[in-house]
Amino acid sequence: MAHAMNFAFEAYVTEIVADGGHAAYALGDGSLVWDDGARAEAHDGAILCAARHPSGDGVITGGDDGRLVWSRRGETQVLADLPRRWIDSLTVSVASGLIAFSSGRDAHVLDAKAGEFRRVFAHEASVAALAFDPKGRRLAAATYGGVALWYARIAEQKPVMLRWAGSHVGLIFSPDGRFLVSSMQESALHGWRLADAKDMRMGGYPAKIRSLAFLGDAWLATSGANGAVLWPFVGANGPMGKQAMEIGWDETALVTRVAGDARGHHLVVGLDDGRIWACHLASEKRVTLKAEKGASICALAVLAGGVAAWGDEDGGAGLIDMASA
Amino acid sequence: MDVGRSIPYLGDMTQIPVTVLTGYLGAGKTTLLNRILSEDHGQRYAVIVNEFGEIGIDGELVVGADEEVFEMNNGCVCCTVRGDLIRVLHGLMKRQASATRGFDAIIIETTGLADPGPVAQTFFVDEEVKARARLDSVTTVVDAKHVLLSLSESREAREQIAFADQIVLNKTDLVSEDELRMIEGRLRRLNPLAAIHRAVRSQVALAAVLGRGGFDLERIVALEPEFLNPAHGEAGHVHDEDCDHDHHDHHDHGHAGRLHADDIKGVSLTLAAPVDGVKMTRWLNDLLAAQGPDILRAKGIVNVAGESRRLVFQAVHMMLEGDLQRPWREDETRESRMVFIGRKLDAARLKAGFEACAD
Repeated sequence: MAHAMNFAFEAYVTEIVADGGHAAYALGDGSLVWDDGARAEAHDGAILCAARHPSGDGVITGGDDGRLVWSRRGETQVLADLPRRWIDSLTVSVASGLIAFSSGRDAHVLDAKAGEFRRVFAHEASVAALAFDPKGRRLAAATYGGVALWYARIAEQKPVMLRWAGSHVGLIFSPDGRFLVSSMQESALHGWRLADAKDMRMGGYPAKIRSLAFLGDAWLATSGANGAVLWPFVGANGPMGKQAMEIGWDETALVTRVAGDARGHHLVVGLDDGRIWACHLASEKRVTLKAEKGASICALAVLAGGVAAWGDEDGGAGLIDMASA
Repeated sequence: MDVGRSIPYLGDMTQIPVTVLTGYLGAGKTTLLNRILSEDHGQRYAVIVNEFGEIGIDGELVVGADEEVFEMNNGCVCCTVRGDLIRVLHGLMKRQASATRGFDAIIIETTGLADPGPVAQTFFVDEEVKARARLDSVTTVVDAKHVLLSLSESREAREQIAFADQIVLNKTDLVSEDELRMIEGRLRRLNPLAAIHRAVRSQVALAAVLGRGGFDLERIVALEPEFLNPAHGEAGHVHDEDCDHDHHDHHDHGHAGRLHADDIKGVSLTLAAPVDGVKMTRWLNDLLAAQGPDILRAKGIVNVAGESRRLVFQAVHMMLEGDLQRPWREDETRESRMVFIGRKLDAARLKAGFEACAD
């Protein structure tokens, strides 16, 4: 590993956001630190969620201080302030320029280009995760008992409820917009084919699935098992009636994070013992990116140019050039 | 469901201890909480409250949570957890790294009407919560003046007593010594394991509430069989000094007695012969699978044949956690003791089942 760089932040790494070729580390002490040393004191408390600003310039973070903050180098701007509340999930759409975040039972929508725009959608139970469809027009909110689908710009509406018993905690749309997948408290995935709301059950996991990533249109990669789990999403039926593939199975560790590169050629996988490996999907060649064990990997991203950025629960973080691994 | 799966250590230092404060509205929970937060003990607490009440809370890190009880989608009716706690605990853990700890312990204050079962089960069910936090103990605060009425009228009030590791019997200045003894008798029959601390204005030694290290197992060993006395309205009930029954009111007993008869009771079992660990695990699993909804809590210290260490277990409804702990000491009687607290408990059947586990 000729090209590797390490950081010690002394705070939990909540999320890593790719910001113009640099990794921006969103931390449990409220700060946002770029890999070139730039820093923003974004929150008075922990950062609970982070995403790239839809404009591509800077990073948006939500904190347990109730604030939604847009940080660029040398500049921070408060986009929303909900005193005594937590902002615990966040998603953005580059396609529509919308920003959505949740606090308790409410999902809020902002428009990055129109500062006064604001929608608030109320749910019967707390919102655990949000996702925009690929066009950024519909917003999905994961909650107890199912997923609510909203038209993100419309003020007065009744959402379409995709009901499935249990607590839904994570969400992802397939890049073609045909499928929506949630991860559940019960260590399983649930999916819907949106054209006909057909249910898909994807189970068999030993642990809760905290990380979901699509690799192109064809594969959904997930954490929650001893190897990285890959579900096929090709054809009209997606994963229905098909088996998942598990790669890199290791009895001694659980996969905690998965991330893909922009083209979906590579999968990067972080483990609960601190190790990281990557796989080139076409050749199925697997390489170890980080062999040293340590705290559980809790954040992972692939930057342009094939650099993997990682962070762990103890504030360890780094960059690894996958080409030199 | 996690039945039978053991956790590596009950007292792992990397797990943040969590103290649950429960009790009826007006019993003195918030007063006790503010005492804990204001006293100079060098500990930093994160506090999770379910409502920002009239009395302010003095902590630096106070988090509001909406009480959300989730049924786990696993076909088990009693397997409920607090979704809000899972979410808040995950969030709080982001303030913790080994170099910078945002707090040393967590206190959860529940609303007066909260069912403590889902709160306790949250610490068994969610893997990440389990890995990072452990339920240290449940403290229930009761108001001596009103406790008997609320026990008669409210299922939640009885369950809060049944789940307690310790009970703060507050506002003792408002009732007589006789009444206090009567109340204590009633509380002990609902929950023979919980230590009862009398207090005025929630003035109780904080060491009685905090850092209890799971639960006061030694109390199992010290237990007297007196609470085996069946509750009022049941065959075989013997009136004793702890009895809260009004002896001058016998003719009225039928109807009111049925209301008063606590549906919850404790059953204590002792076995001198060493037990077969496999048999006992199977018996406990079957028992909890069949009667889990009615068994609120169970705790035990078991003398396993051929094992030098004490097997310690606790259960909440159907969730069972067991662990081999320290070796038996020379001065200890090597015998198995367990206590079940719940509804519809058949003491004779439990006893027979337990005794059949003898090696």
